[in-house]
Parts: sequence; C-alpha cells; structure tokens
Amino acid sequence: MDLLIWPDWPLALGALFPVAIALVLTALVGEAGGRFGLPRVSGYALAGLVLGPLVLGWFDANDLAGHRLVIDFTIALVLFELGIRLDLRWLAANRWVVATSAGEIALTFALTFGTLWAVGTGTGIALAVAAIAVGTSPVILMHVTNELRAAGQTTDRLLALCALNAAVSVILLKLLVGALHGVHSGWQLALLHPLYLLIGSVLAGAIIAAAYLGLRKLVDPATEQGLAAMIALLLAAIALLSALRLPTVLAPLFAGALIKWRDPRPHLWPQQFGSLGGVLVIVTFMLAGAAVTAGELFAGAGVGILAIVARAAGKLGGAVAFGPPSGLDLRKSVALGLALLPLSALALLQAVDVRLLYPEFGDRLMPIVIAMTVVLGLLGPIATRRALIHVRETRRGETS
Amino acid sequence: MSLENFASSRALSLGVELELQLVSTHDYDLVSSAEDLLREMARKDVPGEVKPEMTCSMIEVSTGICSDYARVAEELEALRAALTDAARKLNIGICGGGTHAFQDWGERRIFDKPRFHYLSDLYGYLAKQFTVFGQHVHIGCPGPDAALYLLHGMSRYIPHLIALSASSPYVQGKDTGFQSARLNSVFAFPLSGRAPFVETWQDFEAYFNKMSDTGVVQSMKDFYWDIRPKPEYGTIEVRVMDTPLTVGRAAAIAAYIQAIARYLMIERPIRLSEDDYLVYTFNRFQACRFGFSGNYVHPETHEHRSVAEEIEDSFARIEQHAIELGCDGPLGELLRQVREGRNDAAWLRERHTGGESLPEVVMDQCGRWMGGDAM
Repeated sequence: MDLLIWPDWPLALGALFPVAIALVLTALVGEAGGRFGLPRVSGYALAGLVLGPLVLGWFDANDLAGHRLVIDFTIALVLFELGIRLDLRWLAANRWVVATSAGEIALTFALTFGTLWAVGTGTGIALAVAAIAVGTSPVILMHVTNELRAAGQTTDRLLALCALNAAVSVILLKLLVGALHGVHSGWQLALLHPLYLLIGSVLAGAIIAAAYLGLRKLVDPATEQGLAAMIALLLAAIALLSALRLPTVLAPLFAGALIKWRDPRPHLWPQQFGSLGGVLVIVTFMLAGAAVTAGELFAGAGVGILAIVARAAGKLGGAVAFGPPSGLDLRKSVALGLALLPLSALALLQAVDVRLLYPEFGDRLMPIVIAMTVVLGLLGPIATRRALIHVRETRRGETS
Repeated sequence: MSLENFASSRALSLGVELELQLVSTHDYDLVSSAEDLLREMARKDVPGEVKPEMTCSMIEVSTGICSDYARVAEELEALRAALTDAARKLNIGICGGGTHAFQDWGERRIFDKPRFHYLSDLYGYLAKQFTVFGQHVHIGCPGPDAALYLLHGMSRYIPHLIALSASSPYVQGKDTGFQSARLNSVFAFPLSGRAPFVETWQDFEAYFNKMSDTGVVQSMKDFYWDIRPKPEYGTIEVRVMDTPLTVGRAAAIAAYIQAIARYLMIERPIRLSEDDYLVYTFNRFQACRFGFSGNYVHPETHEHRSVAEEIEDSFARIEQHAIELGCDGPLGELLRQVREGRNDAAWLRERHTGGESLPEVVMDQCGRWMGGDAM
C-alpha cells in the first residue's frame, strides 16, 4: 500500500493553519467588541496581544520581522488615503488649523520630554519617546472614522492633524536618534540628512502622485484592474523607498496630498478598496501584538503611563488652545484633543527600527513604547469613537 | 390658537429665502456642519439672516425687505461672498440645487432645536426625507384681501416657476426622470398642496379656525402649501421653487415673481374661480416632470400648450411692469434661456450623462454657487 496517498497522523498542517485560526480569532474579537459598542480595532489589538508572546505565544518578534512587508504596505496604503484627505488648499485658507497642528505637536513633545527627563530616563530616551509620542495612529483613526462614516469639522481636523503629526514624528525620531548616535559627525551631515529625508520623500511622493494621476487616466480606480494597478504602484513605491533608505510612510502621505492638490475631484477609490484594506488592518493588528512581551510591558509600564498622561495633556492643550480660532467650539476642541490619543503599529515599528540600528538604546526605548502602544492601542480607539459620537459627527452607528 | 392679524407691508416689497446644501469637500456628500458655519457667520456683518434648517447639513439664508431686483441681487451676493469665505475656512462646500444628488436620507441628523425635534417626532422619516432645498419668495401686499387675490392669481404661474427653477433631477443617487423631484418630497406631507379657494380674509380666518378646532393645525407654519399667506409679515410666500444653482438665477426668479405680482395687482386681469384649480395639480406635475416641455392646460380656455410657450407669453404681458420695476435686464436673460430650453436641471444632467460621477457633479455645483457664476 502506498502510504503517500493517506494522511499522516497527527495531521501535518504546517504553518498556514495557525495563521488562519489566528486571523479568524482576531476578526471575531473585533466583532465581539463591535457588538458591545467598542471600536473593532480595539478588539483586533486585544486579540493581537493575546496571540502574541504576552499570553498564547503563537507569534513572536521573528514573525513580525518576517511579515514586515504586509504591515509596511498597510501603513503606506492608509497614509496614502490619509494624504488624499489632507487638503492643502484648506490649510492655506485657514492658517489656524496649521497653528493647531504646530501647537499640539510642540506641546506634546515638550511635555513628554519634560516629564521623562524629570523622572530620570536620560535625555536620549526622553527625546526619542517624545518624538514617537508626537504621532497619532493613522491606521486607528482611519478605521474608526470609516466605521462611523464620520464627517464634519472635528473629523476633518482630526485627520489633517494626524497626517501632519505622523509625518513630523517620523522625521523627528530619525533626526534625534541619528544625532544622538553621532551619525551626523559634522554639521554638514546634520544638515544634509534631514534635507535628504524631506526632499527625497517629497520628490518620491511627487513621482507616486504623477504615476497615480497617469494611471487614473487609463483605468478607473474603482474597478478591480484599477485596484490592482494602484496596489502595484504602492508596492513599487515601497521597494524604491527602501532602496533609497527613505521612510516608507512619508512619500505615500505626500503623494496623497499632492494628488488632492493637483486634482481636487473626489478620490474615492479607497472606499472600493475597503474590504481588502479591512483584512490588511486585521492582519496588522494580529501581528503587532507579537512585539509585546510581558517582561518589557511591565518594565516600561511606570514610565509609559507617565508619558501617556503628558502626551494626553499636550494633545488636549494644543487642541483647546488653537481649536476655537480655527472655527471649532470648545466642546469640539476637547473632542479633537481626545480623539488624537490613539498610538499603535506605526509607533511600535518606529521603535523596532531604532532597535535594529542601535540595539542597546532600543532595548531601553522599547519597553516604554510597548507600554504606551498597548494602552493607547486598546483605549485610544475608544476615546476617538466616543469623542466623535459626542460631537455628533457620525453618519452611521451609534448616536449620542 | 387663532390666526394673527394681517400685518401691513409695502406693496410689492420683496424678500428671498434660500435653503442651501452643506457638503464635504472630500466625498461631496452632505455634512453636518450647520452649527459651525452659523457660528462663523454670527461674527460677520451681512445683510439679512442666516438660520438653521431641519437637518444639520442645510442652512437657510434670507434677505431683508427689499424694494427691487437690484437690492435683492446685492444682498444675495453679499451673503454668498460671506458664506463662501466662511465655508473655505471650514473646508466645506456650499451649493444650490433642490436635492442632493446621492445623499442617504437615513444618515441625516435633525438640528438641535425644539421645533425641529417636534417635527421629526411628528413626521418620522418624512422629516429626514425632507432634506430638500427650496427658494421661497415673499411679496408684500397692501391688505389681506389683496393678498388672497394675489395668491390665487399667482397659482396660475406655479408651473412657470417650477420649470424656471428646476434643479433636482437626482435623488438618492438615481436619475428620477423629473426636472424637480424635490416637490415630490413636499407632496408627502398631509398639509401640502394649495390653499383653499377663499377670496376674503374673513373667509380665510373662518377656514383657519375650523382647521384649528379640529386640532390638526396650530399655526400657519403647519401648512406646507405652494403659496401661503404670511400674516405676520403681511406677505404671500411662494414656495414651489428649487434653490437655483446660482444666486443670480435666484434673484432673477424673484424679480419675475415681483413683476407678475405687479401685473396682477395693478391690472387685475383675472376673474378668480374655484375651477381654476381643476388643472392645477396636472399642470404642476407636468412642470415638475418635463420642465419647459411639459404640458400646460389653460385654466379658462382649456387650451393645451407647452410650459415654455406659456412663459414666453407671460413675459410679453409683464414686460411693462418689469421695466417699471427695473428688472427687464435679468428677465430678458431668463427668457433667452427659456428659448434655448436651458435650466439648472438640464445643466446637471449634461454633466452626469457627459461622464462625471455624481460627487463630481456636486463639486461643480459648489464651484458655480461659491464662485458666484452668472445664472
């Protein structure tokens, strides 16, 4: 009898089966959260933590590195969509929105840095955490706002501020960490590197934007072949950006904003892409939990919570100080500050990348960032959701 | 509650109200930004008034009491400029049009004001479906009986006004085949339609008291008639028009109504009769459905002609009055468009059938209204 035609016992299912189970579990936890009026992303984040080394240990840091492309692609896609929401004409017409952004970024950075420095984490760590704290999670904000079909003054500002603070956070962290480790020996390099990051990303963004607008003439982005073309475009962009040692998140963001600037027509293809994007977001959260270990989480918890409080004060303070002159009332300004709280995969990856380059420094940075992203990945989406419901900017789901 | 006395107003004085759409500049769907826009507008010095409407994605602007076309045009233009300025600051679009082309009525929110909540509780989904946008024109009347004569006389011109202002071919993402689909939403209300045929204010009061005794109505506000008397202002209010895509067209239509009113009041050309209303709903439907090419049945001769021919004739009748009122210029332009068969509904259809998606059409609508384009 030929044994090869009969299955082995126990069944050899390979690596695919656990991934499938993990995916369905993540989706189900999100769904369960949705039934209780919680944002689905909070459920995905919770499932990710349970599947990771913290509880079940199905995934670990190696899985995160191995599937890094999926996460990078998801974040690039979300930032591209976010960029399209960033209307530069509006920023030019209402400078107070730019002031709100600058205010919340500066305040968040200063308060977070000050708090950490005061409790003695050392200048380097305090600066790095502050730079990461400046950003808000684009993946969470886009997911929560899409889930509620949110639209209105708070939502518009929320997404604009997120686009700007995410970009600033990425640049700031690269600069600070580079400077701290003497990469920029000599002032020429210290000047050239930021210029390269910024101008390189803008140029790359311009190329992506031009390619997108060209493609849009050939295929309708709302069709499946159009969707395939757009995905290919972003994949090519990520490959190119990695080769140029440029951050993969900035150029897609700039590209989106340039597209809206060049062609103010409604660009609604991302809504068609909704189902694919939704799956990618679930996968991203499922994998992000792999970076979280119990040891690091508890090691960073104390300082992390201080950083969270300082960061919240900065976001809230900036929004409340500059929201009213930009055309928001006080209630919506407070909602804006609270809605900016989520922190997640992007922050985690920023810290992971730092650790790759500077393991010793990264080992001290990581626990704090892990603690922050765990708390703000779970509770941040709830804050955003409640804030948007409170100011009645949802078109779907719960009403206040 | 009894009917208030008919206030005195200057004959032929003019007031215009426009209900406007607030849309997101991202997807061009309606957006709940009325509250924010009203707050911005409160800081500006503009003529007339800017007020909330039933749902949070609409606002109503109104001129003060104007004497002529020039004043109406000037005030509407000032309101447009101020609103455009505020809208750019808030990153929203403002546009005309009787309906929003693709909004989902289930997603609308009722503006937080007791009267709107009362209406929403009473009418249920009709209130949210009533997210439609009209132009209302008030005409000052020397006295209540003259107001009723004007009301019934003006009823003959309802099809003309519908065809001239029609700008709502699309509802919920579909071409309805109508030029003004907005009025179909108005018909759904139990107290819509036409005013009862009474010729004296005494009789009108008697009618109102009877209705009030039934408990069906509390005030004139509960009637959604095409034309209704507004005793507190001393005016009649013509309410059948869709909000045009430009303030220029809105001003020209107001001028047309004023010229008709002058013609009716001074020449008293019609002997009113209840039978005038036999053809009323038919004519009205034809104008909503087919615009200028709709069928118009003359209430007295029962002759069938097109709405366009009727409008052309009406211009000849009121020409002298238009010159007296100083609005022959804009009326000439309106007539030219009638001859070419052009109105806002046609403009919207041209764009969509020409390949633009509905969100892109709404974007162009915003461009026309906010840019202050000519009619």
